[in-house]
Amino acid sequence: MATDRFPSPFDIETPPGAEGWESMYDWYHLFGPERRELDEGRFWFADRLHHPDVLHPYDEIQCECWWQALGAFNTRIFAMPPAYGVDQRILNGRLYVTPVPAPAGDVAARAEEFGRRAGHYYERWNEIYEEWKEKVNARLAEIRALRFEPLPDLEPESTVYDHVGHSAGFRMIRDFNHLVTTMYETYQFHFELLNIGYAAYLTFFGMCKSAFPDISDQSISRMVGGLDVELYRPDDELKRLAKEAQRLGLGDEISGNEDAATLFEKLRANEAGAEWVADWERTADPWFVVNTDPGHPGGYHVHPTWAQAPDIPLASVREYLRRLEAGESIDRPTDEVLRERDRITAEYRELMAPADQPVFDETVELARLVFVYIEEHVLYIEHWMWAAFWAKSKELAAALAAMGEFDDAEDMFFLRRYEVAEAIYDCVVGWSVGSRSRGADYWRPIIARRREIYTALKAWDPAPALGPPPAEINEPFTVMLWGITTSTVGEWLTSDDGDGTTLRGTGGSPGVVEGPVRVVTHVSELGSVQPGEVLVCPATSPSWAPVFARIAATVSDVGGIMSHTAIVCREYGMPAVVGTGNAVATLRTGQRVRVDGGTGVVTVLDPS
Amino acid sequence: MSGAWIVPLADPAAGDPGLVGGKGAGLQRLCGLGVRVPAGFVVSTAAFRAALDEFSQARIEAPLRALPPAASPTQLESAAAAARAAVLDAAFDAPVLEAVRSAYTERGLGSVAVRSSAAAEDAADTSYAGEHDSYLELHGPDAVAEAVRRCWASLYTTRAVSYRGERDAGPMAVVVQRMVPARAAGVFMTLNPANGDRSAMACEAVWGLGEPLVSGTVTPDRFLVDKISGEVLRREVADKPTRLVRAADGGTVTEDVPESLRATPCLSDAELAELLRIGRTVERAAGCPQDGEFAVDPAGVALLQARPETVWSRRAPRSVTSGGTALGAVLATLTGGTLDRPNPRNRRP
Repeated sequence: MATDRFPSPFDIETPPGAEGWESMYDWYHLFGPERRELDEGRFWFADRLHHPDVLHPYDEIQCECWWQALGAFNTRIFAMPPAYGVDQRILNGRLYVTPVPAPAGDVAARAEEFGRRAGHYYERWNEIYEEWKEKVNARLAEIRALRFEPLPDLEPESTVYDHVGHSAGFRMIRDFNHLVTTMYETYQFHFELLNIGYAAYLTFFGMCKSAFPDISDQSISRMVGGLDVELYRPDDELKRLAKEAQRLGLGDEISGNEDAATLFEKLRANEAGAEWVADWERTADPWFVVNTDPGHPGGYHVHPTWAQAPDIPLASVREYLRRLEAGESIDRPTDEVLRERDRITAEYRELMAPADQPVFDETVELARLVFVYIEEHVLYIEHWMWAAFWAKSKELAAALAAMGEFDDAEDMFFLRRYEVAEAIYDCVVGWSVGSRSRGADYWRPIIARRREIYTALKAWDPAPALGPPPAEINEPFTVMLWGITTSTVGEWLTSDDGDGTTLRGTGGSPGVVEGPVRVVTHVSELGSVQPGEVLVCPATSPSWAPVFARIAATVSDVGGIMSHTAIVCREYGMPAVVGTGNAVATLRTGQRVRVDGGTGVVTVLDPS
Repeated sequence: MSGAWIVPLADPAAGDPGLVGGKGAGLQRLCGLGVRVPAGFVVSTAAFRAALDEFSQARIEAPLRALPPAASPTQLESAAAAARAAVLDAAFDAPVLEAVRSAYTERGLGSVAVRSSAAAEDAADTSYAGEHDSYLELHGPDAVAEAVRRCWASLYTTRAVSYRGERDAGPMAVVVQRMVPARAAGVFMTLNPANGDRSAMACEAVWGLGEPLVSGTVTPDRFLVDKISGEVLRREVADKPTRLVRAADGGTVTEDVPESLRATPCLSDAELAELLRIGRTVERAAGCPQDGEFAVDPAGVALLQARPETVWSRRAPRSVTSGGTALGAVLATLTGGTLDRPNPRNRRP
């Protein structure tokens, strides 16, 4: 049934069994009576791109990091002319967001400031980006150097003889704070370059659309992308390991189907095998520190990295080996992509008015410059930083569980970060005094209830949006990042009218193929994907790269033309439809579909 | 002026419009580009002169010369008819026609199209579009020779006479070209006629032969293809209830399109890609945007005709920036409020 607005956030009911869910999240992250008038007048959409699933209370920090950092860089640091930050609320465990426009009257003054401030960055982009990598790598090393262990019965002698002057208990309190604020700090860095990067890319985009009204989004991104960026390195390393396996004569041995642990054990028994396993282990840090979340990598603590789940990368090494042995080339056609990039750029340029050609040249150059960061920052922040953060959080959880603060290490993730700080203090003070913490006895009923709530929230099907839709969506980042446009929203409003045989999204990568569906929502399911299947997922992540060698097309719930799925499918020359909204909920594994990556339409061929 | 009566299309001599007429010379140019042009030959202006010598010409034009300065349409029509009859009469039995019969038979051309190719036709400034006769799906030497004679006579259709005014008639060459048994056919333009965007190629096509489309009596499928990336940007499929096809006994006939094909695009992506390659080749060789006609048979896309596009080509590309720097462009984008954003939902009804 078509209507003109989405439900008010204040009218959304709590799913049965989830009563009291609000206690799981920070109060300032919730819709509340103080902001009701403001919040009811705003248009909110579910951020399924970054947070497709229910948030664990501890994982709320992920949202907090970007809520504040994106906002500050747009609003306060660069004075992004049309846009303030993106506001967030948690409702029934899901994240809803709304872009905040800058007051129209301030845009001109902000533009002047933005020109100076962002101009400073554009002029020194590569130099600043090099500094940026150093800053981030230093923070990464700091986080990785933290050690969370059960507190010792007696402090080591070094505490005394090195005159350390504080206790292991104090250090646990201090290091947890440091863990959180360091993660927080790198999220500042994340937005230091991202939005001004997007602004430059969007400018090039708009210029092409004005000169060539019918040019496709894909053609524009092909003029900018195709660079040899580090984001592709993990996949390239898998290919290298496949070639090494072949060189060492290990093809047959590795091509079996044992799990990684068994295989590596077996390989270590001979010289060539041991060499290959050692190579794998050297490669794994950092190149297999790749989060496997479907969608925004690093968003949840529950998704492993390749290094933690080596069966996933091993599956792709086996696939590459198979293709090598069949005589196929497995190298990414980077040179070809680059040649094609230069060809189309030169040909479009030639068709521009002569007066536009110099600024076209400058703008495409700037867009290419920023695009390297737009692609690569994901590896530094979303993969490496978040993987380190979650790993250290789990180390802390295990230490606290061993100390009796929790029954089970996973319990910690059902506490908000402030509550974790409380639990640490409770644990540390009991240990320090040689007395008794309230510990697991205190948390047990709270966590038991939250686990029930979490399960109840998972069963809730979140509304795609809340509140009155704007007449037009023109906030550049909303469109660019989330793929949400005026027409998307219109479709959400009328989506009940669909007949269930056609899904519409954004054409992320051109081409038409047909094939059977494979629905995948967690990386552990990737192993079941068969060659020629159409991958249907909430979103993909670079860590899923292995699967791109096997599938025929990709359909995702979220994402726009700049989403990972779209970028990688274009690289592989494979059709993709992104941002369908509900493909995972609608399509079933085994169903045959036709995917048209040009028009963004997915057709179910056997709807029965 | 002398020269061969029969000039093969692929022969460099067919590059001379004085000898083979505008259409013939255009086709010769296309043959040299490595694109598929149906085989054929030109019955040259030398052949025309041999068939209709000066004495005959004077006799043919006499009724027209006798017209008063302000002749009525009826007077004009009957004088033109008399001139046409005189052409047919004078050319009857000309040795040139025997040469046409032999040329046709030797080459084993099968079903052919016979089209007028006046020396002034298809030049950049005067199109003469449709002023002279064309005959489709002709079979056998006598039918071809007869069509050549009729093409000559069509120099004196009432329309041609009026269009020409005081200018001299002829001489006229005639193109005899193998007929493509078209599964689909259409026209293309190496820019978007709606906005002059030169990065796009527009194409319209129908099932069967292209004549109903060219004459504007049917609604075609419309396609817009990116010339640089090759993507099909737009595809508007029309309901196509009828098509013109080769008749069993020669000539053409209009028939119903099978139900399953009526709303099906008449060109595949592969055919559009081939057409794009042809269009770009022709445009590059000519140095300016082109429009043209094509036909598709099981062997692929054949180019039937191409000429300069005359409307948008004369204008300079529209400027879309105010010059300046990339930073200036970023600021314009962020403050313009008219930001062209990625709206990848380029769906069409």
